[in-house]
Amino acid sequence: MRPRSLRAHLLRMLLPPISALLAVGAVVAYYPSLEPATEAYDQALVDVGIALGTHISIADGAFRFEVPPAVEQVLRTDRYDTIYYRVLGPDGQEIAGEPLLPPPPEGAEASAELISYDTKIKGQKLRAVSVLAPCGRRACTVLVAETTVKRSRLTRDIMFSSLFPEILIAIATLVIVWFGVKRGLGPLSRLSEEIKARSPRDLRAIDAVAAPEETRPLLDALNGLLEQVAEGNRNQQRFLANAAHQLRTPLAGLQAHTEIALSQPLPESCRLQLEQVHQATIRTARLANQLLALARAESGGRASTSPVNLKALVEGEADQWVHQALAREVDLGFGLDPATVDGDALLLREAIANLAHNALEYVPPGGHVTVRTGLRDGAPFMEVEDDGPGIPALERGRVIERFYRIPGTGGTGSGLGLAIVREIALAHGASMEISDGALGKGCRVEIRFPHG
Amino acid sequence: MRILIVEDDPSLASGLSRILQAEGYAVDATGRGEDAVLAASQERFDLVILDIGLPRMDGFEVLRRLRVAGSDKSGPLPVLVLTARDAVDDRVRGLDLGADDYMVKPFAMPELTARVRALLRRSQAHGGPRIVHGPLTLDTVARRAFLAGEPLELAAREWAVLEVLLARVEKIVSKESIIQAVAGWGEDLSPNAIEVYVSRLRAKLEPSGIRIRTVRGFGYMLEEYKDA
Repeated sequence: MRPRSLRAHLLRMLLPPISALLAVGAVVAYYPSLEPATEAYDQALVDVGIALGTHISIADGAFRFEVPPAVEQVLRTDRYDTIYYRVLGPDGQEIAGEPLLPPPPEGAEASAELISYDTKIKGQKLRAVSVLAPCGRRACTVLVAETTVKRSRLTRDIMFSSLFPEILIAIATLVIVWFGVKRGLGPLSRLSEEIKARSPRDLRAIDAVAAPEETRPLLDALNGLLEQVAEGNRNQQRFLANAAHQLRTPLAGLQAHTEIALSQPLPESCRLQLEQVHQATIRTARLANQLLALARAESGGRASTSPVNLKALVEGEADQWVHQALAREVDLGFGLDPATVDGDALLLREAIANLAHNALEYVPPGGHVTVRTGLRDGAPFMEVEDDGPGIPALERGRVIERFYRIPGTGGTGSGLGLAIVREIALAHGASMEISDGALGKGCRVEIRFPHG
Repeated sequence: MRILIVEDDPSLASGLSRILQAEGYAVDATGRGEDAVLAASQERFDLVILDIGLPRMDGFEVLRRLRVAGSDKSGPLPVLVLTARDAVDDRVRGLDLGADDYMVKPFAMPELTARVRALLRRSQAHGGPRIVHGPLTLDTVARRAFLAGEPLELAAREWAVLEVLLARVEKIVSKESIIQAVAGWGEDLSPNAIEVYVSRLRAKLEPSGIRIRTVRGFGYMLEEYKDA
């Protein structure tokens, strides 16, 4: 379902009442102005009727009606309308004029000296008046009618002149609503831009100061939800911290005791088994660390975000790797230039440590591993490059899947390392890229951060 | 040498005790921070191994109290912090509070014993005039060096570089920090010069089994001396 547009909705709601107002306005303006105009035209017809009435004469008891050519001329020269007349004797006898012109109907509008009515002749609409004219001692009737061209014009003019400003006002109202809503919702658009631009780990409350009063309840509800999510994250962080400690301490004890046992003279079969236990302990510890790091990276939570100097971060961690490198006879090198990113130092350390451990694990003795930090095209990065077996292009999409290990590879990894690195990169708005190492040999994994 | 272990996990505490006893140290262990603070105030220890995740009084608080109480004593008491590392950045916080080193659980025992040796050596170097590293002895007062009992000629700069490396055995020391420690005010020392001093030191020390590793692009690391 398409979401309802507030603007369209407002316009839909406004349109019927505005149209109704328009109609009422038109009617209210139309009739009062129409009546005097119609009366004026009727009066003109009456004047014609009276003028015609003066031309009735009685000769030898017979009525005669003669219109001088000048009057006839006047009747013919109306610009718009055709004028008809009919003269009837006191007893209704036809004297002159158009015999088809109907007499006023029963109950037509009547005042003292005139009757006006609507009628038709040969299908033409007419407006007619009936006037009494003195014929000797009695009265003759003069009917005068004209077509309604003038009157229709007048009606149209009145209608138009009263409606035109109202239509303008209606259009202006709709335009104002259209842009007013857009303008009124402007602060909301800015808010949504701000929310869109946020990192998914940013759970701070939305600043409601700049927002319109009407959106406060929405923002308050949203902020309430954000606070709940943040609280949930904090709970999860606390749980993870406790779980980490609860898991690692007994593992440390287990490792200590197996190492003590291994340092003593033992029957060979016993020693082999104990060595298995020892290796399993170390793997379990590493796996626990990785799972916790993964959960941390996923749980978001911005609590521990601060400027992190990548160079210092790697320098602080290098001691841990150098022993692994010495043990595996791998040459570990560094290329460290200063670069600062906003992030979670613990997670970033976990990311680079995972990359370094992976490289040190899979590079054969005599190989080289290089850890670098710095700026590339102005964007901070950290990367680990090796000249080991590399990751075939076809496998690169899969190695970031959790628990995936390239078939046939040695080492004791859990297959979580790169999945964690990727998750941590995502949590920092960074990208993780796997490419060939220098000279097309080995593999290079780069975490590239957005421009500071 | 007497070591105080503050660790509430009985299995890990007993493991640590046995390993350190096997190395020839006198070891006391407690699982409570309050006891540790009390013990350190009444008796003399050469090193404390301190777990951060203690019940009630946590390791940070113990560390803070040890540092307050220790400020009027002769030498600083070295503290090796054990951490399970999540939530707050335990390591940074521990080091800020004056821990001398940290280890993340779980850890390999040889690494622990190496760190303990390094810490003890460092604290003695602060107090005492002699630094011993395998067959090498530096008499810091007389500024004379001996290798397997024979006098060893060291130029002033070589001596200075060696002293920096000896203070941080098994740790990578960056070239920058060596330059900072060795160069006098207003002196301009190039990384290449440091390479020259290190290669001269190597020529003199490696025949006796003392190894200085190059960490490419970073610096050097004096390895722990192992009897061949």
